Amino acid sequence: QGLKPIVSTESPALIFGTTPKLASDLPATDSFLGKNKVPDLQKLFQKADGLPVHLKRGVPDKLLYRTTMALTIGGTIYCLVALYMASQPRNQ
Amino acid sequence: MAHQAHSYHMVDPSPWPISGAAAALLTTSGLIMWFHHSSSQLLTLGLLSMILVMLQWWRDIVREGTFQGHHTPTVQKGLRYGMILFITSEAFFFLGFFWAFFHSSLAPTPELGGQWPPMGIKPLNPLEVPLLNTAILLASGVTVTWAHHSITESNRKQAIQALTLTILLGFYFTALQAMEYYEAPFSIADGVYGSTFFVATGFHGLHVIIGSSFLSVCLLRLIKFHFTSDHHFGFEAAAWYWHFVDVIWLFLYMTIYWWGS
Repeated sequence: QGLKPIVSTESPALIFGTTPKLASDLPATDSFLGKNKVPDLQKLFQKADGLPVHLKRGVPDKLLYRTTMALTIGGTIYCLVALYMASQPRNQ
Repeated sequence: MAHQAHSYHMVDPSPWPISGAAAALLTTSGLIMWFHHSSSQLLTLGLLSMILVMLQWWRDIVREGTFQGHHTPTVQKGLRYGMILFITSEAFFFLGFFWAFFHSSLAPTPELGGQWPPMGIKPLNPLEVPLLNTAILLASGVTVTWAHHSITESNRKQAIQALTLTILLGFYFTALQAMEYYEAPFSIADGVYGSTFFVATGFHGLHVIIGSSFLSVCLLRLIKFHFTSDHHFGFEAAAWYWHFVDVIWLFLYMTIYWWGS
């Protein structure tokens, strides 16, 4: 498959989210607690833009990703330093 | 453009597994620094990064399944196996604590006064709050099943009502247990009785909180139309986990609370 994300094999019409038995097919409950945005999101996430799924939404994804990596990588370095210091024998 | 000639999911490269491992390192080292050196920065960092990784990893799975259609029946089967195996491993985790309880309580040592409950321990009355908690969890098992049936019957309003009720019952249980913990006449430091009681019920309580969180995410997804009447594995996984939590409580109640008093 390589690094380029392949758009899913099924065309949107065959994806489970859009099979005939959608919850939004129900008549009277259409507007109960919001409307169905899943088809729009399906289009967005299946855009052939080469982005991996964790960055597919653009800016908010990038911010969250960079924050997480900064915390984990920075934290790991801090951790190794702290463990090194903690393993030094204490002077009497 | 190439299309796959199989029904499996070849995932996009993801940073979450390795970040999750790093978060686990930070959390465990953080615990050490907290216990032995009274410093909680590393622990905070670890827990924060753990939450961030969990949120993003699971968010991506929702994207891959619901929005990109990668969760074919083949893939779903694998997810089912995975959840079953995970719950089984959790069952073994609790088995260890039940073993510890029976090890100490079936042959109480002279230091305990040769009796169980040990000398000086006033156990909780199993017919008071613990019995109410049992009823609450059993009821929540009924409501989560009701929610499931509502989903398969495409009854959106009832599904939302039933799942909300399940989550509220879970919160009620947690609140009552917290109150019991506060009011208990014995603590975790009260010998092996305190240890076995609080570690076993404490880990169970943690699992109730995890299960309630899982169900809450499902409620959000249910409201957002992510589930269809024949494809809603996320909900099923949460329901399985919830039933497991209920069963563990029943064992806790029968052994530690009832037989152990």
